[in-house]
Amino acid sequence: MTLSADNRVSELVTAPSRSRAAARWPWSGGTPAGRFIGLTLLALLLAFLTVYPLSMLLYGSLHSTPPGAAGVFNLDGYRDIFTQRNLLVLLNTVGISLAKTVPSVFLAVFLAWILARTDTPFRGSLEVLVTLPFFIPPILTAMAWGMLGNPQVGLLNQLYQGITGSTTSPINVYSYGGVIWHMTQYAVPFLFLLIVDAFRAMDPSLEEAARMCGATRLRTFFTVTLKLMLPALTGATILSFMRGIENFESPLFFGSPANIHVITTDIYDSINQRSPPQYQYATAISFVIMALMFLIILLQWGLLRGRSFQTVTGKGYSPAVMKLGKWRWATFAFCVLFFVITVVLPVGQLLIGSFFKFFGFYEWDMLTLDHYREVFGSGEFWHGFRNTMLLGFMGATLTMGLGGIVAYISVRTRWRGRRLIDAMAWLPWMMPGIVLGVGFLWGFALLPHAIPIYGTIWALLLAYISLGTPLSVRVMSSAYAQLSFDLEECSRVHGASWLQTMQRIMIALVWPSFAVGWVLVFFGIMRELSASVLLYSVDSEVLSVVLLKLWANGNAEQVSVIGLLMMAMVIVFRWVQLRVIRKWVGAL
Amino acid sequence: MSDVVLEKVSRHFGEFVAVNDVDLRVAQGEFVTLLGPSGCGKTTTLRMVAGLEQNTGGRISIDNEVVSDAASRVFVPSERRRLGMVFQSYAIWPHMTVFENVAYPLRVRRRPTDEIRDRVLKTLRLVEMESFAERPAPALSGGQQQRVAIARALVFEPKVLLLDEPLSNLDAKLRLQMGDEFRSIQKRLGMTTLYVTHDQAEAMALSDRVVVMDRGRIQQVGHPEEIYRYPANRTVAGFFGTPNLLTANVEACARIDGGRVRLDVVGQGWRGRCQAATEVPAGRPVTVMVRPEDIRIASNGADADGLRWSGRIAHTIFRGATRSIFVETEQGRLNVDAPAFGGYAVGDNVTVTVPQSAAWAVVDHGETVG
Repeated sequence: MTLSADNRVSELVTAPSRSRAAARWPWSGGTPAGRFIGLTLLALLLAFLTVYPLSMLLYGSLHSTPPGAAGVFNLDGYRDIFTQRNLLVLLNTVGISLAKTVPSVFLAVFLAWILARTDTPFRGSLEVLVTLPFFIPPILTAMAWGMLGNPQVGLLNQLYQGITGSTTSPINVYSYGGVIWHMTQYAVPFLFLLIVDAFRAMDPSLEEAARMCGATRLRTFFTVTLKLMLPALTGATILSFMRGIENFESPLFFGSPANIHVITTDIYDSINQRSPPQYQYATAISFVIMALMFLIILLQWGLLRGRSFQTVTGKGYSPAVMKLGKWRWATFAFCVLFFVITVVLPVGQLLIGSFFKFFGFYEWDMLTLDHYREVFGSGEFWHGFRNTMLLGFMGATLTMGLGGIVAYISVRTRWRGRRLIDAMAWLPWMMPGIVLGVGFLWGFALLPHAIPIYGTIWALLLAYISLGTPLSVRVMSSAYAQLSFDLEECSRVHGASWLQTMQRIMIALVWPSFAVGWVLVFFGIMRELSASVLLYSVDSEVLSVVLLKLWANGNAEQVSVIGLLMMAMVIVFRWVQLRVIRKWVGAL
Repeated sequence: MSDVVLEKVSRHFGEFVAVNDVDLRVAQGEFVTLLGPSGCGKTTTLRMVAGLEQNTGGRISIDNEVVSDAASRVFVPSERRRLGMVFQSYAIWPHMTVFENVAYPLRVRRRPTDEIRDRVLKTLRLVEMESFAERPAPALSGGQQQRVAIARALVFEPKVLLLDEPLSNLDAKLRLQMGDEFRSIQKRLGMTTLYVTHDQAEAMALSDRVVVMDRGRIQQVGHPEEIYRYPANRTVAGFFGTPNLLTANVEACARIDGGRVRLDVVGQGWRGRCQAATEVPAGRPVTVMVRPEDIRIASNGADADGLRWSGRIAHTIFRGATRSIFVETEQGRLNVDAPAFGGYAVGDNVTVTVPQSAAWAVVDHGETVG
């Protein structure tokens, strides 16, 4: 099963270069022996990062006792899955993801249309604002919404009661609605980012032709624009659906307190909340979620086969922008509203929460700076901060480096074994963070004692690299695929060695993509919670784990302070990405 | 009367004037080509007729109905102008089959299914594409896409057909063939046609009338022969082929029949007679246009009425049907089209002549065109 999937992906990635590369590359990179050793080392590294945790999962699901302890092989783990309760968990997982994906798609299409195809004022700035929620670690907004929408003391309910004088609380985030709402905030900007370029880059004459044929604007939109977007939209929707299934924060914060369980939280609970921890069950159900992901990937391939339309022409035409008249202020207000609800409200809550003595009691004489003093005076915070930064920088650099090498081999060489390497790098695509966390948990526990990775910061680093590799390979593959082989060959013909060519031509041309991918991976590491929460130990706590522990202890005020600091970091990095990197990318 | 009338039509993009006071009247069944270099405003003019862009000045009417008037803020949207249009990129919708593409205008108009099938197949037959009806659009070659685009534009029998550089994405041979085919379809259907191109050969071969545009203005309107032979100014003269443009001064001027005048001009090291459209006072500088194919390499001094230069052959290029010969004279280099195997050699001293009727003088209006 996995094999055919891997083949498909490697085909996907290598397709653009196949025709040209076929007859070439007799001389790529060093001696055959050196290449063999290099490839073997790379394959071993990837195997350790992806295949090893996966096989440990399989081992764990068949083994009766926790990692490292003596036990017997049996199928108890799988037998435990087939209960009525788990059917509900499965339905919850799929249903919640579906319930957030559908409205998110409509919202994202609407936003993409507004920002790419209308004359709404300040579109450039709005685009930055509307996409910002995607970059905020979900744990922050989850905590902020936990305070905003708390049925007893939530700010929104307090406001409602203050205005209407009623004593009821209309908003309760600890519900299905709360889980879906929190996921939607991330799904909309995610989908938006995936589809907006398809909207923007479409050849405008395809729509103009429909107008000339007598179709109204509305009809043109539905029969031509939307239909042409369909492949891109389907792909994005399925991806969003997958993300909904592997989501951990939303059901953890809003589902678990209301006794709503999904697979990811079920895995977490069975290891962290049950006594004794049910490792076998956790690993067995991990396979359920991976099977689910795999089915969705199969569905995606089935749906999208041969259905990508080349609607982008080389002609540098700006797409037709619809003049909305006075309605453009309505669309403007809609975008601003989205930003206010998804960013300003939670950040505002964190801000308010950080200055009042107790969360939920907002009186003038309760104002205080104590929480800031406490946080900055706490060793735990600084420890987490240092770990997150260290892991972020190291993890992003190593992940992108690994992705760059894997992508180079699979896109630009004809070396034997490149498919295998590419497929191994793709494996974590199917594995949600929590599943990979479980896999590494077993994996580290079963390593010889001479390799004490478990409980150190390196355990987290390896998990992060593994999680980020599919993304980094994708980013780098598309960067290489865009470069013509002539560039490389021309450099060789003009007397540069392979190494010089790599340095002066390839790296010089792809490094903007590297930088973009680096920032994405960094964001990913900063927000990572599900794997971290399984793999951290006393010395290797990262910020998200520190936050979760404070939250669990009811310390919402310090959570607010740390949340604000993380927010500031997000904004700084996003700013760097937009200001600096885009300029370089644009210049190429 | 399916005619298109443009009255003082302008299009401003902020400070930039893309189209400036264009007046044009296209009669029913006429094939009119807008010709000019890229950025001359021809496509903008066409798109204003289509309603894809709004004119900032002037009035456009189609079939005696005003579709756009900047002064009275009348603007009929594209879909209600009942025009057919072929785009440069063809704009064949990749998510539909050939049949669905062509049927689209009829489906929009809610025609009955039977009628749609009949008319689509009839139109596809017209462009010889009926066997491709069920083909998905991405599986077509450039020439086939072009035929489908034409079929789609013709299928609902529009009042006017608009074409925006429809042949420019085809290779040279196919371009000739498609152009001829398209012209014969247009003649058969008697469709009023407005055609945009930057290719002067295409414009001459297809059109009833050619409108030469440059920098947003109409430079000349006329039959292809007329524009080729009697350009109104240096810009138009230089746009067709590779003529020799020689500066000279007028010595004398006389009316001849046909509404033209005969000029006695003197250049650097040569003098002679040529023709012009209007009287030019003596002493005025003019540009004399001499086409390479009109120049003869003479062995003896015949035709005293025309122009003659003597010089030395500097360079020759074999072009297949003809041989380009560059003759170095006192005035500069003259480009001459000679028979391909005429036996001329570099370094030969020759005399070249042009009959008076083939030399055409235009007055420079302080234009910057070199």
